[in-house]
Formats: sequence, structure tokens, C-alpha cells
Amino acid sequence: MMSFNDHYVIIGNGPAGNHAAKTLRKKDKGARITIISDEMIPYYYKPKLTGFIADEIAQKDLLVTSLESYKEKDIRVRLGQAVEQIDPDSKSLVLKHMETIKYSKLIIATGSRERLLPFMSGYADHLKFITSYTDVMDYKEKIQNAKEFFIFGGDLVGFKFLKMLNSMGKKVTILIYPNAFWPYNLTEDMLDQIFTSLSQFDVSIIIKDDISTIDKKDNGSYRIKTLKGVEKTVDMVFSFNGLVPDIDFVKGSGIDTDYGILVNEYLKTNIDGIYACGSCAQIYNPDMKSYSASIGWPNAVVQGEVAAYNLLGDHKVIESVGRKYFDLEGVKIKTTWWGDINDASQE
Amino acid sequence: MKDIDIVIEICGSAGEGTISAGEILSRFMSGQGFEIMSFDSYPAEIRGFGKCVAHTRISSNPIYSPGKLADVLISLNDNHAISQLPTLKESGILIYDSQPARPHEEDKSVAGRTKPGMISYGIPLNMLAHKAAGNARGMNMVALGALSALFHVDKDRFTDSIKARYGKKKQVVIDANVNSFLEGYDWAKENIKKSDPYSFEGVNLPEQKEKLIVNGNQLVAQAALDANLMFYAGYPITPATKIMEILSKELPKHGGTLLQTEDEIAAIGAVIGAGFGGKRAMTATSGPGFALMTEFTGLSVMAEVPAVIIDSQRAGPSTGMPTKTEQSDFNSAVMGGTGDCPRIVLAPADTKSCYEATVLALYFAEKYQTLVVVLLDFFLSNSIKNIDVPKKPAKKYRIANIAPKKEDLKDYKRYKITKSGISPRAVPGTPGGIFFSTGLEHNEYGRPDYSQAGHLKMTQKRYDKFNAVLVEAPAPEISAMGRGKVDIGVISWGSSAGAAREAVMAAQKEGIKAASFSSMMVSPFPEKALIKFADNCRKILIPELNFSGQFADFATCILKRPVEKLNFITGRPMASEDILQKMREM
Repeated sequence: MMSFNDHYVIIGNGPAGNHAAKTLRKKDKGARITIISDEMIPYYYKPKLTGFIADEIAQKDLLVTSLESYKEKDIRVRLGQAVEQIDPDSKSLVLKHMETIKYSKLIIATGSRERLLPFMSGYADHLKFITSYTDVMDYKEKIQNAKEFFIFGGDLVGFKFLKMLNSMGKKVTILIYPNAFWPYNLTEDMLDQIFTSLSQFDVSIIIKDDISTIDKKDNGSYRIKTLKGVEKTVDMVFSFNGLVPDIDFVKGSGIDTDYGILVNEYLKTNIDGIYACGSCAQIYNPDMKSYSASIGWPNAVVQGEVAAYNLLGDHKVIESVGRKYFDLEGVKIKTTWWGDINDASQE
Repeated sequence: MKDIDIVIEICGSAGEGTISAGEILSRFMSGQGFEIMSFDSYPAEIRGFGKCVAHTRISSNPIYSPGKLADVLISLNDNHAISQLPTLKESGILIYDSQPARPHEEDKSVAGRTKPGMISYGIPLNMLAHKAAGNARGMNMVALGALSALFHVDKDRFTDSIKARYGKKKQVVIDANVNSFLEGYDWAKENIKKSDPYSFEGVNLPEQKEKLIVNGNQLVAQAALDANLMFYAGYPITPATKIMEILSKELPKHGGTLLQTEDEIAAIGAVIGAGFGGKRAMTATSGPGFALMTEFTGLSVMAEVPAVIIDSQRAGPSTGMPTKTEQSDFNSAVMGGTGDCPRIVLAPADTKSCYEATVLALYFAEKYQTLVVVLLDFFLSNSIKNIDVPKKPAKKYRIANIAPKKEDLKDYKRYKITKSGISPRAVPGTPGGIFFSTGLEHNEYGRPDYSQAGHLKMTQKRYDKFNAVLVEAPAPEISAMGRGKVDIGVISWGSSAGAAREAVMAAQKEGIKAASFSSMMVSPFPEKALIKFADNCRKILIPELNFSGQFADFATCILKRPVEKLNFITGRPMASEDILQKMREM
């Protein structure tokens, strides 16, 4: 297939976006293909970020593909460029720096961003999140210099971050909200297992309690008090409470959304020529007659490929079941987020 | 403590404050103790809205060249900055206006044209400038504010520096600039997540010394004043005009006279006239003006009248490219004109040596009663460097005429044959010191003499003077050779010498055995030193900013062995990176 006049634009530079681009190029040698991402780093292994913070791996080892491979495939990559608006009528995107880009067909694969629980919004200014390379670059040096940490451990990444801090010799306190855990609330059994497994680390664990106040002191540290009277002074406070689809820019475009972009089993949105895949999409399951989101690298890879095939005219139906389990010291949660990325992301 | 070495380019349109932003940045960083070297490029046309680039290298260590590629590009104007993007390093940082006055079509925004690997920071420059001062004029200051926040520059000190820069302006101007700076600083601090490794915080700086922040033209003018210049005649021409501009204000304060002539021929004529009258005199020009002056230069040599020409080279023959740098007047300066016409030519290698070269030029011209040409170029004339305050010249360099003694005046021979070739020179009004002086070949009294013996004797005399200069010429700059032969000797002249020196230092770090040689004195050339240097080099590389390798051909004649040429006519200064790459390939 050769379509020299087509311009396929993919918003998002994660596994879904990159596999979509690669598939499009494989099937269409003539079209212009552009990946747009608000992140400045090329396609990288997000799950390896904690290792990067701890200096266990170098920046180059975060990268999945070389820039040369994009050149070879004639795929243009626009990094550090956020999409602000989609106008399906004129088939154009407006970027944050006020550049308009025309597209023939569009794939949205923007993934997710940090989830701020509503009851935490009062002290949001004091919280730090790690969901991207940019976050890491912003905090890496501070993390390395800091001694005491407080973590809102509402997801699996939080546990991994805790483990990393522990390996760096940091003092850590973690507060777990079992009823606001992501992606699934924790049962009593799971909570017990987590408590047992985390106890092997040098960490203070707070469960069944809540924050009373977080105050920033003049020296930059934070004073945290819980309702049950626990008091901690720490250098940094991190929040890990899962992810939400990163789709704010879709608002007003006419593309149907719920908490994610609504797509059918072919990953097509309600608007012709626009597809969505990866964790920013809510995919319709005809059997269940409902929409569900997926997380995890392998799911994103498959969905990126399927979206690309279907954009080119195919009718592939997406598999709707996650394929791996997360395992933290015996606690198993069904998700693919922490799957073996080295297996799942091979080019 | 850490080191930093960073090249920052600000790109905008003429009238957008691009050059002044660069200047403010350079001055501030110099004041903080950093080594700086900056270089501006701007359109030749006075009218219009052409592209301007302020290029500044800032380092915690000594620097000798401006650096080829930028680590940071600040775009004040996307139309121009897009064409500047190729000079941004692959891992470079772009700072751009994220809320421009008008939307961009596809690929018309510089942010959209960045390559993967680059980091871009969008700052609403236009919006913040309006917020600060009600118009877009402060975009340059907003950008400097953002830059300061991103790279951890002290906000208060920078603010003080801006206040000092605009100190003589109305308060409203000072406020507009300071407020724009602060808007940019605060916005970036609040909104930008830093993704780059650069920081000026905690940098290891050398001991603070009093520094002068100047360009070559300013130093030429200052040196001329310090070296007792009494007369300047000239016709304005880029890139030398600034010399005349400064002297027009300062020379009268020193008791001297400045004359703006109708053209360059008149200027050199007036300079020779003043020189004949016993006053230290000079002119400054560029290639096209120098071509006109060639008509008169022979008179200076033949009549043995002191004259100094500063030739700030620009690109191309004829009018060429007025605002681009080149080193292509070498042949013209060293060999141009008619007859056997030995003249002294000095080529300073860096901003600082512009001072020394000018002092020496006026000294040599007066002492050796001849023409001295100083070869600057657009880069040296305009690039700003912070340097140690130069020492004022000793009396020897300010008063150098060898006047006739009483016994000489009994039978005064203006062109008396002496061992050194220098004849005692009487200035008009000296009792008994009457003589003939024309452009004709002459005898010792100055009367026309067309005899074979007379012409040979006088030509030999002029060459004797020429060769005598070498005794007190500045020694060539030669990097430590170490033991045994080096693989590559890099021989350079003029403004390419700094880049050559830096390239050799980098090559040595890579394990390449290399050494560098450069000489401010290019005519007469220190040939023995050159041959000795080359004998210790397996290969010779001569980088210079002209197409044909004018100096390389000249050096080949001295060395009588092949040399490797490296020539650029890009209009930009020599880059150490290019020399280093060539060395790797040799």
C-alpha cells in the first residue's frame, strides 16, 4: 500500500503509539507518519524509571529504540510538543506552541497521567508524582540528596518506588489506602500479604489511618500529622495512587469520552479516521456490553498494532484480557503493567 | 564544585533586542567570574528586519574560540530561528515563545522543527512581555529571565545588572526591562520542569580579577589612544567603523584630530601626510577600502613615512559579505601593491592581542618608518571577550622616532644607509632637517635617482629595516611539544589561532600527539621558528577562513613540504570542532 498524500499522526510516544507507527510504516511505505509527544525523551521504558533514579541504569538504557530507527523508517518524531486541541472537521491538530498540523488519520495513544484522589487535593501542592521521565529529571537529584520520605502508597508503582528508596538507604514511611488502591481495591487478605511483604524492608507502614495536615516548613521539609496522631518530618512526599487517561486535550473535539476515550472493539472512536489505543482508551466489549480500560505494556503494544491495521482498513478485534500478573513478594494482582518489558516490547 | 562550558544563542529579528540581550548576558556572566566570548551576526542592510544572532560562550575555564554549535537556542522570532536550528546541538535546548501573537502554519514554528533528543521549553514570551510592560519589546528580557530560572542564575544579581545596563535611561525603561526579566524568571520557575543538566549553581570559578569586557575594535581604539595616536583619517565601513566612532569622541580629548574623508584613498593619503608631519597616524578599513588604499601604500614604503592601516577583513572580494567574517585579505595585505614593497603585517589571534598589535603597529610604523597593516576580521572586531585589563604601553612604545642628531643635520641625509636600514627621521620644522620626499626612487638625500646601483641600494635598505623588525617582533605562540615528534602540527594565524589551540588541547586529551603554532607577526614571518616547529611535526595542518589557503600557500613556500589545508568560507568564525575532526581524519 502506498499513499503519498496521507499523513498519519499518532499522539503519544509510548508502546501503543510506537507500535502503531511501526505497523503503519510496514503496511504503507508512502504516507507521512508523525509521532507527537509532550515528553522530550524518545520512546523509553517507563517501568525502568525507578532504576534510573537510583542510578542503577543509565539514561541510554531507558531508551527502547534509537533515533536512527525512526530515520530509517521515515517516521517523524515531534518531542516536547503537546497537542492542545483536535479539530476533526478540518482534520487538524493545534499544538501548544500554536502550530497547526493537518492529518489524514489520527491515532491517540497518550497513555495516562497521575491520579490525584479528591480528598488529597487540599495538599496537592506538597505532593510529588513520578509518572514520566520529566518528573524524574525534576526530582532525581533531590531524591538522591533527601533522607526521609513519605509515600502515599495507592498503587504498585508506589511499592516499587519504596523498594528503590530502601535500596538507596532512605528512611521511608508509607500510608496505604486499601479502599482507594489502584487499579483494584485491596481485600483484607491482600492487605495482610502486603503488610507482611513490606515489613521485610526498613519502612514504617501506616494502614487504616488518614492525613490530618501536611505543612511545609521554612527549611523545605514537610511536617505530616495523621488523624491517629502519627507525626513525621520528611524531605519529600510522593503520591502513588494510580493513573488516569491523559485526554484533556480531546475535550471539545466531539470525540466521545468517559474517563478515557471511548472506542469500539476495533479501537475506532465515534469520529471517522480517529482511533485510540493504550491506557488512554476505554474499549467496548460486545460480550459484556460495557467499556473497560487496560493498563500495561503488552496490552499497549497489541492495541497500537491493531489500531494501525484498522486505520488502514482492516477489521481486527482487540483482545480484551490482560495477560500477566503483578507479583510483589507473593502479592499477586492481575495486570500487565509490571510484566516483563524485555519480552513484551521487542521491536 | 563543578565546571560549566555552555554556548547560548539568542536569535531574533533586527529591532527585537537580540544583540542587547546577548550583551547583557555576557556582561552579567563576566561579572560573575565566568570566561565569556560572544559574537553577534546581523544583517548587512541598515534597514529591514533581518536575522540577528547573539552567540555567547560561557565557561568556568579559559576559552579560546566561540564554539561551533549552541547548547541553548533562544528564539525571539521563529521565522529566523528555524534557519538557526541546525547550529543547535543534537541534545541542545530550545527556548521559544509558546504563545506567539499569531498561530503558526505547519512547520513554521521553531518548536515544531526540533529534532528528537533536543529539549524544548515553551515560555509565553510575548504574553509575559505585555504583562510586564504593555508591549512585546521586553520579550528578550523575559527570555533572559526564563534562562536564569532554568539554569539557576542568581535572580537578584541579574536584576541589578539590568538596572546598571539601563541606568542612564528613564525609570520607565528600567522598570520595563526589570519587570520583563522577573516575569520570565518567575513563570519559568513555576511552570517548567527542568530536563537538562545545565546549572550555573555551585560552579567552580577561578579567582576573581578585574576584567574588561570589550571587542577587538574597542581595544584597537583604546590601544591607539594609549600609544599616542594623534591623527586618524577614515571612511566608515563595516566592520571597522566602530574604531572611528570611538576615536571621534576620544581622540580630541587626547589632543588628537580625526578626519572623516570622502573615501579611503583620501583617508590613507591624509594618514601618510600626518605621518610625514611627525604625528602618529592611522586609519581603519575593510577589504574594499583596503583595495583602494593600496594605491597609496607604496608611497608609505617608498617615502619611508609611518602609516598604520587596520584592515578588518570581511567575506569575499569587492563589497562581498559585509557582516560575515573571513581571513581572505592575507595575500593583499602581505603582498598587495606594486614593486618590491616590504611592509609589516600583524595579525592578532584574539581580542586581547588586538591591543598589543595596535600598540606594536604604531610603534613599528614610527620606528621603522614604514607601512604597518593590522589584520583583524569581522569576528575579532565584534566578538566580545572578558580580558584582564591591558597594561599601558611603556614610553618606548609611545615615542619611537629615531630623530637625527646634531651632526646628522649638518649634511642631512633623510634616507641615509645604515646597518639596520633605519635612517634618522627629521620632521618638518626641524632646523637643518630639510629633505626631498616623493614616491620616486631616490638617493640618500631624497632626490630622484633611477640608477641601477641606487635602486638596489635603496631596495636593500627597505628590506634591511623589514628584517630588523623580527628582532623585536612578538614571539610565536607554540604549545608545549613534549618529547619527540608530534603527529600533527597545527599552524594558524589571526582569529583561527584560538580554535586551533583549543582543537590541539582536545586532540591531546584524545591521545593524538599534536602541537600548535601561531604568530602575530605575519610579515616579516618568523621563518626559522616555523621551520623548527614543523621539523618536529610528522604532518602539518593549516586551518584558515579563506577558500584557497592563502596562508597555507605562503607557509608551504617557507617549509618546502606539503601541508594539509582546512578552509572554510561560511562567514562564521573558525570552530575548534572542525579542526579536531580533521585531525582525527589525518
